Amino acid sequence: MQYQEIAAHSLVKEVKDIYNQGEYRLTAMFANDERNMKGYFAIYCIFAGAGRFKGLKAVIGQEALQFPSLTPFFPSAAWYEREIHDLFGILPVGHPDLRPLVLHENWPEGLYPMRKDFAIDMHVPMGEKPYNMLGVQGEGVFQVPVGPIHAGIIEPGHFRFSQAGEQIIHLDAKLFYTHRGIEKAVEGLSLKMAAYQAERICGACSVSHAISYAQAVESIANVEIPKEAEAIRVLVAELERLYNHVGDIGNLCAGVGLAVGISNGSRLKEILMRLNESVAGNRFLRGIVIPGGVSMDVTPELVWRIRKDLEHLASEFTEIIGLLQNNSAFLDRVESTGVLSSQACRDLGVVGVAARASGINVDMRQDYAYSIYNELHFRVPLYTSGDVAARLWVRKMEVEESIKIVKEVLEKVSSKQENLLVSIPEIKPYSSGFGWSESPRGCNFHWLMVGENNKVYRYFIRSASYPNWPAVTIAVIDNIIPDFPLINKSFELCYACLDR
Amino acid sequence: MEILLSFIQALGFILCAPLVAGMIKKIKARLQNRKGSSILQVYFDLVKLLNKDSVISSTVSWIFTAAPYIYFAGALVASSFLPIFSFSGKGLGDFFVLIYVLAIGRFFLVLASLDAGSAFGGMGGAREMFIAIMVEPALLLSMCTIALKAQTSNLTIMAASAADSPFSLAYIFSAVAFFIVLIAETGRIPIDNPDTHLELTMIHEGMVLEYSGRNLALILWASAVKQMVMILLFVVLFLPWNLYDSANFLWLVMKVLIMTVVIAIGETSTNKMRLFRVPNFLAVSCLLSLLALVAQ
Repeated sequence: MQYQEIAAHSLVKEVKDIYNQGEYRLTAMFANDERNMKGYFAIYCIFAGAGRFKGLKAVIGQEALQFPSLTPFFPSAAWYEREIHDLFGILPVGHPDLRPLVLHENWPEGLYPMRKDFAIDMHVPMGEKPYNMLGVQGEGVFQVPVGPIHAGIIEPGHFRFSQAGEQIIHLDAKLFYTHRGIEKAVEGLSLKMAAYQAERICGACSVSHAISYAQAVESIANVEIPKEAEAIRVLVAELERLYNHVGDIGNLCAGVGLAVGISNGSRLKEILMRLNESVAGNRFLRGIVIPGGVSMDVTPELVWRIRKDLEHLASEFTEIIGLLQNNSAFLDRVESTGVLSSQACRDLGVVGVAARASGINVDMRQDYAYSIYNELHFRVPLYTSGDVAARLWVRKMEVEESIKIVKEVLEKVSSKQENLLVSIPEIKPYSSGFGWSESPRGCNFHWLMVGENNKVYRYFIRSASYPNWPAVTIAVIDNIIPDFPLINKSFELCYACLDR
Repeated sequence: MEILLSFIQALGFILCAPLVAGMIKKIKARLQNRKGSSILQVYFDLVKLLNKDSVISSTVSWIFTAAPYIYFAGALVASSFLPIFSFSGKGLGDFFVLIYVLAIGRFFLVLASLDAGSAFGGMGGAREMFIAIMVEPALLLSMCTIALKAQTSNLTIMAASAADSPFSLAYIFSAVAFFIVLIAETGRIPIDNPDTHLELTMIHEGMVLEYSGRNLALILWASAVKQMVMILLFVVLFLPWNLYDSANFLWLVMKVLIMTVVIAIGETSTNKMRLFRVPNFLAVSCLLSLLALVAQ
């Protein structure tokens, strides 16, 4: 990967130039501690547009650890810059909101865990930084704190609503409660061992993270994996999409208390999870995608089982969707609720189902075709209303498309092949590259720099939930508080993907 | 003597109400293809909670601790009024009294929900009152149809009159109107969702989130009693067909069973409506009651 190298002080100007070219939009932004090789910190910006990627490397000068903030001009940079500030202690000058993002108020000042001189086993004392939740004040305006511990079995996140009556006038979300430091933990690990960590970033999109990581490794090593292995990767990726979307549609019914939808959704999801277990030996399809290929072949019996289960699923799924589509009480809840405008999507760089429901035609499988997706025939559903219903129907259509893709892929894998794994050669130290894949929630983007002896030097994970969480806080405005769970479920974002 | 017998009737209600609640739960579970918990589960829950200590916030006033007892007492008094037997609530059993005895319980529960100062309690209390101001007129109107016919507000005479009156359009209208109120009063879908864990959507459950242990047991128990009171009111006033001789007691039980099935089916087949659509739903009830009054 080639990067356009610039000095940090001209960052805003350069990014503006790139945006002015039209297509390119910010996909990821992160810092890298290159002091031991080059003597400086660098800020990397990766842009994507019209099927191509562009990299920008802003070198931070010796005199001050800072760079001009992009956030005032490009809102999608807001979280990236706060994260750089937290983890590297590099100051984005002019950032409007520099509250801690990743490391909360209990992390001490002056300790920056992603710097190379921070030992991973170091004892960290408790810190007491201030943290102010944002809220609206005034007569008749109430602030409602929700979480971080919730009633259901979900991950932690604190939501601060400002409400006037039942209407939400502002929402501030404090996430990143269980930051695991995976990016730090994999540094120094072999590429093979790091793959296990990558796969466990999140339960619901294990395959997608594993594919993104594997592709990053393969693109740096410049190896091509066997066609059959690519097909198996697509197969498991689509199985993952299926169980997620089917489960999410069922969950959405829980947001409106529709018992029929909840129980059928969980039942169908269970069918798919058991199918996953028979494919991978575990319910989350882990352990199949590894750098250099895949770990297993698909036997004819398995092909038969997948076909049979999907046949069964397809007919039942259509039936259940029919129940929802013809149910005016249900439609009344989901239509025009939680509208996310396409402008907000563009500004925040929203990806995945949420973007496609708001009229943004973006799907990594189609636009930045990886693996064998360009040989497959599928449509990318697009809705423009941006409400809960649109996100629901996008998922519904993607389920149908995924079933088609799986069937098409099964045709390709039916032939038995001997070698599904190529070895990763010795990689030139400090070469970098990235991989991406379309998870059930959108683009998972992984950037990797390999150090000496094929060990990870720096790993950056931008999951699909990362750019989408801020969109939730926009979409709920002007809705009523009892509709928040429904809107939140329609995005169905992942906490663990942030807490990497 | 009659007062004593009424009291015994109320005790019977207290003992049976968790069973009715348990049955509705069981039928719902079966309708959703689940096995569901035992129909006695509500009893087990109550025993468990009664054996636990209550955690009470240090900021609350006496209202918080008194409210469960007042709520429970309200349900108890209301259940002693119900005209099931010839002695039930003689002289005292007036439907205005019944409605407002229940309302006192609700009023104190709402006060208690505000007491601890938690956001969920306040939201639940505000919503409960928002719905109550529409439920009460609807409840009054639908019962007025029967009262007007009986020329009295005494529940015993109303029940007797209802039992003797032939089926009419007015009857069906007010029955539907009352059923809507029944759903709202018992906190069921589409108005409220008794099974949800989503605090932000709760109405009745939101109010009682601060309660635990014995206090919570009292509230759950009283809610079950209140639910049974509403079901029996519906049964004796709108599904009557003779009720005073002993063979008909079995009929009464049958009718209650039928109602549990109807409620469970109703709750399973639809979803919760938007909070601000609830007034429209209750307006339908009021309108039907008015039509029933006119039709008479």
